[in-house]
Amino acid sequence: MSETRKRRGLQRRIDKIDAENIDYPTPSLAWMGRTHQWGTRVKPGNKGLTLSSLNVGHYGEIPEFWEDQTRMPRGSVAGPGGVPPIGYSVRAKHELWADCAGDLYEEAIQRRWAPTTDVPWATIEPLPEVVERAMCQLCTELCQHANVEIETITSWQQELSYGYHEVKMFLATETFDAARHFEVFRKRALCNGGGLGVESQGRVNRMILENRGGWTEAMAVLQLLRGTLTHTIYRHGMSFAHNDAEAIIFGKCLEDKSRHLAYGLDHLKYAINHQSDQALILEQVLGIGERHLVRELRDPPFRESLAIIFGGGIEGARTHGMARYQHLMGDFVRQYLDWSDWLGLRRREFVAPELKAFLEK
Amino acid sequence: MAVFPSIEWFDEVREVFNTHPEYHGAGGGACETTFGVRVGQRMFRLTMEGLECISADEIGEQQHETLDFYLDLDPDEWQEMLENIRDHGGADLDHSLNTLDLELDEGLARSTGDQYRQDLFFRYNQTLQHFFDASARIRTEF
Repeated sequence: MSETRKRRGLQRRIDKIDAENIDYPTPSLAWMGRTHQWGTRVKPGNKGLTLSSLNVGHYGEIPEFWEDQTRMPRGSVAGPGGVPPIGYSVRAKHELWADCAGDLYEEAIQRRWAPTTDVPWATIEPLPEVVERAMCQLCTELCQHANVEIETITSWQQELSYGYHEVKMFLATETFDAARHFEVFRKRALCNGGGLGVESQGRVNRMILENRGGWTEAMAVLQLLRGTLTHTIYRHGMSFAHNDAEAIIFGKCLEDKSRHLAYGLDHLKYAINHQSDQALILEQVLGIGERHLVRELRDPPFRESLAIIFGGGIEGARTHGMARYQHLMGDFVRQYLDWSDWLGLRRREFVAPELKAFLEK
Repeated sequence: MAVFPSIEWFDEVREVFNTHPEYHGAGGGACETTFGVRVGQRMFRLTMEGLECISADEIGEQQHETLDFYLDLDPDEWQEMLENIRDHGGADLDHSLNTLDLELDEGLARSTGDQYRQDLFFRYNQTLQHFFDASARIRTEF
């Protein structure tokens, strides 16, 4: 469309306005000048203008407790009375904070990927039927891991106050990451002549979703216990990829999951260091979670599908496939205990015996 | 032809990695870590910043704490990995950083004392793999 034609159209609309009969209120401009800190000029650094770099002066004051009960952005001026309280329940810094959250948000944005176009789907070729069935069963399981993550975080978002926006923003990216994981494993299951398998018992899923004791406690089960298992599955999945597409799927999911764990672990450390008895509470929660996980692991589809993938079929599953499954579970328990040690949580001596047994196989 | 391991070798790989966009797409993205490559008794320090590997130098033991983590293989294991990368244009599944870390008794990625910093190995795993895969484009002497 030419500029002349656009100008003519605009003029026609202006001509229709009866300017004399429009009532322009005298501007009060009373809101102008109401600020805690004016003249702020944050400059981009070598990483650009990052979220964390904005934490200067008044805007960098992150309180131990966020009194406000509205959506007021941290550093802004509270509105005049009359804003109805929203009722955020998580308002103390130790209940959600992690120093790394702002940087992890930036990293999630920087390292985003798109399953639709970034996975070389054409490299997927027909597999033996039992292996395809096992792969689809694993994808079904991983879809459930992802949608529990989405539901857990979104159900808590409304409880987390705006005084700690870095955390809320990072969790928004984690929700999107989990949606991406749900997407990519659903696509993998439905692109090679197979289909989705059976739903898992979901004992751990229910515990994560129904845990209303606190955000920190939910993080212990979602990130430290379940997240470590998912992380380990991604690592072994990448190592046993049947094609470039699967290698990229598991590789990219691994990076995303590592970012989620980074927030989870950093937050748990912060909570433990700033709240007396927090470690004891988490040890109790994790003990319960471990027992749910042990019962869930008795469900055959998870164990058998992994063994078939690792063994290249049912015969191989009976021998080296199952041995590899034990290896995976051993890696999971070792990582879980290493991270628990780092957090100062006494799981190495009290971990569920059925999990500890994987270390000896 | 650069000799592995040497600063010259890492500089040649850096040049390839930094200038080929295929190593930075599809979630490759920014990478912020300083990690080590231990070859026998020698330790090389690589600094990743943004989309580039900005420096490589050789460090002594007293500087190990500047590393987030380090990758530890014997010289012949490094050679096997790099020859595999050269032959395939990138590591095959048996020689990827992830598989080596899973398979080796002590793992590939070692901590310098802080679990959080060691976990950067996983956060940037694909980018680190791309870095070593870039060595397929240079000629290496062992």
